[in-house]
Amino acid sequence: MQIKIYHRRKMLMVAAFIVGIGLLLTGRLIYLMIFRSEYYQEQANALHERERSIKAARGIIYDRNGVVLADNQSVCTISVIHNQITDPEKVIAVLSEILSLDKETVRKRVEKLSSIERIKANVPKELGDQVRACQLDGVMIDEDYTRYYPYGSLASKVLGFTGGDNQGIIGLEVKYDRWLKGIEGAILTVTDARGVEVGHAAEDRVEPVPGSDLYTSLDYTLQCYVQQTAQKMIAQKEAKSVSIILMDPCSGEILAMTNEPEFDLNSPYTLSSDQRAENEQDALNRMWRNGCLNDTYEPGSTFKIITSTAALESGSVSLNDRFYCPGYKIVEDRRIRCHKIAGHGAESFVEGLMNSCNPVFIETGLRTGTEVMYQYFERLGLMEKSGIDLPGEAGSIMHQMEDVGEVELATISFGQSFQITPIQMLRAVSAVINGGNLVTPHLGVCLVSKNKQMKKLEYPYKKDVISQKVSDTMKMLLEKVVAEGTGKKCYIEGYRIGGKTATSQKLPRGSGKYIASFIGFAPADDPKIVGIVMIDEPAGAYYGGTVAAPVMREIFENILPYYLGKQPEIINETGEGNE
Amino acid sequence: MNKKLNIGDPLMLAVVFGMITFGLVMIFSASSYTAGLQYGNVFYYVKRQLFTVAIGTIMMGLISRLDYHRILKYAWPLHGFSLLMLAAVFLIGTASHGQKRWIYIGPVGFQPSEFAKFILIIFLAAMCSAAEPLMKKWRGIILMFVCVMPAAAMVMATNLSTGVIILGLSFIIIFTASRKWVPFLALTGMGIAMMGVFLKLAAYRVDRIEAWLNVETHPKGYQTRQALFAIGSGGFFGCGYGKSIQKLAYVPEAHNDMIFSIICEEWGLFGAVIIIALFIVLIWRCAVTAMTARDLQGALLVIGVMAHIGLQMIINIAVVTNSIPNTGVPLPFISYGGTSLIFLMCEIGIIQNVARQGKGSIS
Repeated sequence: MQIKIYHRRKMLMVAAFIVGIGLLLTGRLIYLMIFRSEYYQEQANALHERERSIKAARGIIYDRNGVVLADNQSVCTISVIHNQITDPEKVIAVLSEILSLDKETVRKRVEKLSSIERIKANVPKELGDQVRACQLDGVMIDEDYTRYYPYGSLASKVLGFTGGDNQGIIGLEVKYDRWLKGIEGAILTVTDARGVEVGHAAEDRVEPVPGSDLYTSLDYTLQCYVQQTAQKMIAQKEAKSVSIILMDPCSGEILAMTNEPEFDLNSPYTLSSDQRAENEQDALNRMWRNGCLNDTYEPGSTFKIITSTAALESGSVSLNDRFYCPGYKIVEDRRIRCHKIAGHGAESFVEGLMNSCNPVFIETGLRTGTEVMYQYFERLGLMEKSGIDLPGEAGSIMHQMEDVGEVELATISFGQSFQITPIQMLRAVSAVINGGNLVTPHLGVCLVSKNKQMKKLEYPYKKDVISQKVSDTMKMLLEKVVAEGTGKKCYIEGYRIGGKTATSQKLPRGSGKYIASFIGFAPADDPKIVGIVMIDEPAGAYYGGTVAAPVMREIFENILPYYLGKQPEIINETGEGNE
Repeated sequence: MNKKLNIGDPLMLAVVFGMITFGLVMIFSASSYTAGLQYGNVFYYVKRQLFTVAIGTIMMGLISRLDYHRILKYAWPLHGFSLLMLAAVFLIGTASHGQKRWIYIGPVGFQPSEFAKFILIIFLAAMCSAAEPLMKKWRGIILMFVCVMPAAAMVMATNLSTGVIILGLSFIIIFTASRKWVPFLALTGMGIAMMGVFLKLAAYRVDRIEAWLNVETHPKGYQTRQALFAIGSGGFFGCGYGKSIQKLAYVPEAHNDMIFSIICEEWGLFGAVIIIALFIVLIWRCAVTAMTARDLQGALLVIGVMAHIGLQMIINIAVVTNSIPNTGVPLPFISYGGTSLIFLMCEIGIIQNVARQGKGSIS
């Protein structure tokens, strides 16, 4: 058969058709590979790259003098990559020796067919360096950080600790987690579709940003001393717990805070033998709980400071008003006892405070009235949380104002029938003695990032919640309480100390359980330090004046020379020295 | 004349062997990682392909020396045998990727559909040139299509894309052989309509359409999506030979139907354009050979082969670039695959023979 012209024409057409479509597809390729290249490249990279995170160094926590309270420790994780090992016997020998592991255990892991096998984690850096120095093929040493607390249980409930992902669990570690934790870095490695890393592709590294350092107002020396004292009290008085807070009343900076028994921050999940309970998590939570702000209590007689302030500010009583205490006072149909059953007899308001006489304060409270009392609670921050920079602060439990009858008002006046936290109480007293300024108790002072940028932490501060005059009067009265009244066991020669005792019955009443407490401050005329001591369920004597006041004296005696920077001024005037 | 007999078309041969060699190089790159994982031998696929190339070369050499007129004489028996094989697939076939397409004789697998394509070209070339006067009429054209139908239908049942290629190359051969235009335009229209109906009927293929339209989100779009990532990652000059990441088990069938995507990733647009250019040279050489053939039989054989190579190249590249819905067609001469390559080389052998007997220039 001959090929005709139309055959050739059609052949050409077919060829041209195929070539034409070939060119169209070339166009499509140009579009995909030039104009969409970036898009697909990005998608492909996202698919191929696996991120291995690099931990950021956590910020260090310092005390007010630069003592390190929470630090990072360099540790290593040692692993083996099976198919990179060239001399398995040597690897087994070296690793088992340096890491003091059983040879068989190491052998099992070295010989295991896996892409990567961890031999040991949390290896101290020195040992990791030793392993590295041996230059073994197939042995990988990854450096890492763990949190380390140089002083173990020092301020454990305040500092808190971190979890496995470098995140704060309790205390300041939680509150300042955002700044402390830094930003994790990453190593990007290329993997195949099964997720196995591929050797030939270059690693991309994003450096981690270390966290900011936290400077706190804690004083290492004071904290140590306070904790030792609290431990001693627990031993002596077989108390359930002892809480002590020391604070600068003018700024709200907390110098020391303890709620013994504390726990070891380096092993926060270890319960002591007597704490072992069925529900471990509950037991741990109890162990980590900071009674200074997580729990409320009935303040008892220390609250008379607040009642007095409200009464004096509103003018409901004056210092020389006379009262009579027969040992009880009848309010409506209730007979409310004074702690001195025989009664204090006739006394002035000043003497009433010095004697911590309940009938005097019932009378004072009733004269002042619910509305004015509540107004001052409000002003002194008792109706709100203190705002301390620690997590889990409890709020106060108060009567609704409209539910307060005479009986309730009477009991409130000497610190019963409602609950507040110790830190709220200390804050209110600070406002009374610092000239009338409501401060926010706090621990964090400033944050310093690794490139030395400082962020000063600011706290709310309310000026003139009470007058300077009443503040001065209260300081004078409270100094008298220590010098001559129920608080005299806190008297220290050469220092001017003010304070107030309290003995709170724990609920239910009649259980025979008490909290003995004392709030003290020094110097009485110009307070630089205010402290609260609370002894929960002491055995034997339970009066604040006998149990808690001496503790505060012991603390003040020892820390005031250091803290105030001056020795006691003992004036030996003629004839009076040998009393 | 004698001198001519020995030469054939050297440029076409050079292009074919160039593509086969490049194919081997790329099969190694694309398959070494997965072959290493799967068989512990990075050369697994390359070795097998080399073996295929050897057989293919021998067959091509033999066929190129065999006068094509002698082959054409056996068109009917060959066609009958091909139909038998296609029927046998339904009875003794082995499934791969969910479709029965293979016949195994011992360890050697064989795809009857590839054989059917090859035979159909011979069959149609013989028929159309024998019935050349009839080809001017509707009747002859319809008769030809009817002859093609049994083979096409049987392939279509298990393998849509090969079925489409069979229809396509039959269409092209018949179109070339006939003087008429209208019936083909009508058929084209009908074909498009039928395609629509077919897609509507077979649900899993509609799924494929969905995957095609939503390639970045549809779960069945995985393969094409991975191919697009590979192509897009290539850019102008690619990431370099052996450096593809998509071949690390991301692109399924990276050495097979999807090899073009790995070529794009490693050699960039530059490499991709060169491959397409090589195909165009091949098509051009086919067209020249067809036009200078000694007779219509020879020309139709060459046109059939040209259509076969061209259509497969177009469908393959269109699939990897997501220009059409995903369907598995190997890239001629480059993709891994025994049956396909051997018959393609046989077809080149026939063209060589046509070229040897050709006139050297268009008269």
